[in-house]
Amino acid sequence: MSGSRLQQILSRGEFAVTAEAGPPRGANLEAVRRKGALLKDYVDAVNVTDNQTAIVRMCSMAACAHLHQMGIDPVLQMVTRDRNRIALQSDLMGAYSLGIRNVLCLSGDHQTFGSQPDAMNVFDIDSMNLAHAVKTMRDEGKDMSGFSLDAAPQFFVGAAENPFGDPFEYRVMRLAKKVAAGADFIQTQCVFDVKRFKDWMRQAHEQGLTEKVHILAGITPLKSARMAKYMATKVPGMRVPEQVLKRIEGVPKEKAAEEGLKMCLETIQEVRAISGVHGIHIMAVEWEEKVPELVKAAGLYPRPKVA
Amino acid sequence: MALSVAKAISAKGKGFKPRITVFHCVSALTDASVLDSSGCDIQVVKMPCGIATREVFLLRALESGADAVVALVCPEGQCRHLQGNIRAAKRVARMKKLVDEIGLDGRRLNLFNISRGDAQAAERAIKQTASDVASLGPNPAA
Amino acid sequence: MIVAEQKPIAEIKDIVAPYSRLLVLGCGTCVKTCFAGGEDEVATMASALRLAFKKDGKSIKVEELTVERQCEDEFIQQAAPCVARNHAVLSLACGVGVQMVASRFTRIPVLPGVNTTFMGQLEKPGLFVERCLGCGDCILDDFAGICPMSRCSKKLLNGPCGGSQNGKCEVSPDIDCAWQTIIERFKAFGQMDRLTRYYPPRNWSRSYAGGPRKLVREDHMV
Repeated sequence: MSGSRLQQILSRGEFAVTAEAGPPRGANLEAVRRKGALLKDYVDAVNVTDNQTAIVRMCSMAACAHLHQMGIDPVLQMVTRDRNRIALQSDLMGAYSLGIRNVLCLSGDHQTFGSQPDAMNVFDIDSMNLAHAVKTMRDEGKDMSGFSLDAAPQFFVGAAENPFGDPFEYRVMRLAKKVAAGADFIQTQCVFDVKRFKDWMRQAHEQGLTEKVHILAGITPLKSARMAKYMATKVPGMRVPEQVLKRIEGVPKEKAAEEGLKMCLETIQEVRAISGVHGIHIMAVEWEEKVPELVKAAGLYPRPKVA
Repeated sequence: MALSVAKAISAKGKGFKPRITVFHCVSALTDASVLDSSGCDIQVVKMPCGIATREVFLLRALESGADAVVALVCPEGQCRHLQGNIRAAKRVARMKKLVDEIGLDGRRLNLFNISRGDAQAAERAIKQTASDVASLGPNPAA
Repeated sequence: MIVAEQKPIAEIKDIVAPYSRLLVLGCGTCVKTCFAGGEDEVATMASALRLAFKKDGKSIKVEELTVERQCEDEFIQQAAPCVARNHAVLSLACGVGVQMVASRFTRIPVLPGVNTTFMGQLEKPGLFVERCLGCGDCILDDFAGICPMSRCSKKLLNGPCGGSQNGKCEVSPDIDCAWQTIIERFKAFGQMDRLTRYYPPRNWSRSYAGGPRKLVREDHMV
């Protein structure tokens, strides 16, 4: 119904592969196309971040539209940090008119982390409210005021979840809430701590959530020991176990990237085996060129065809 | 020490005799007359405890013409009223910063911890202050 | 209470520079409690300004006065004779006080000496924390008495976000995660089920978003 390739793959019960692409810090269309061309045949959909880490970049909607023109199924990431409900709903309608069919509802990194910490934030609604609004648009044809829309956008609704944040016992409860609010699919925070991820998935499965929502495990290849250390200490809500750090620190510097990819492949195999995991979401931060190799090596290439 | 201070003072020349206001806790310094030999113009304010060191008094001493202001309080852990000396130190530190910000040089404001009855330590504190002030010259806001 | 902090002395010096007779006006209520503008701070500020200007060879007459509350006209009137003698007033009250004084004395500049920061509480000596946004529609009953508007960096109604770890906010390890606290309190009440409810978007029209607010009490108008 929504014309989303990602949705078709997931509803057919096939294992989905998505990847994240950050737009350029500028108006460089070629940079968008380059990343698109790189990923096109290897993933089912491409997420475009929305001013990620509160650093100003080309808007997600424009980059998504460019990808759509290339025949890619884009996932429009939308944060509630920068726009109020009026702007968000208007953007949803505009995005749909441009052929965008998936939206990932997020609150967004706090602006104090970004390049312009002096900025005012919005947070008129939260990510859950946004997911609910997108779902209501689709299912009831109405905007947040209850007004019946002239051709309501039919989005496939995504949300993020962090199985590694605290408090742990509440994490699955919150997932349930997101599903109830409207999420059709979930892309998780990067999985390094497979044990904790399994634990979270088991709870989600026990609560019957894995039948209601498609969970895509977040995957990030580590490029170096420095990056691993950074992920472990500087990224809020990220959990990188000691043995992961030790393993990448244990190889010579020039072999670290290779080891990182190896570890990444192992993680992919492990999460694929978990009941209820319906796909992976690869976040290869500024290392998108490795995605094809990773997908091939994981045995996930070629991607299934859709009508 | 005394000689070098005298030298510094005369080097700055023209008979500059630093005026120093001393706020002291009566437990830290029992007899302020020991400070008479410093060669400075000393004004003494007795306090029942370091806690009586109020920020505005430190500034008003400078306003009244002091070239430097000194607080003599008991060493940490030896305050009869538990934290008077610690609080005095924080207030002096805050005012030092303020005095710096207004361009008067925070070195005009100092706090020293003096063990009860250690008159020599008190003398040393004053001499050090005198030597600092000698290099700074008279209080420009006096 | 309203929490404020004094502006840096250099900024205040610039603000008052054009005036040679200045009244430093304190307020004996909130700003006194948070050490920004009570009697003691007025004295220190006045003294510091005199020293600062004298050092630069400029003469300034600084008078000091603290009234009980600058946000009430009946207290401000006591300042009238002092105000009349001066060329400007440096108010150490919150933004409300500054404007209240300005509205009574229309021919003299009333200048701010503090930055009004938030509505908060004294958590422990020397530590003031924000507790209320004045959103105009209190929802503390739904959040175990912990305000997600003023205490969650992202104002999340369905939190916590993914950045919360070890009970701390992603914005700073100095900030307790409001949602962690909400969850702990509901757990203690045995009301964890309240957290499973989806919380709808807020009506911000009663907040500052609805334009400057007024409270009308007809029963007090004659």
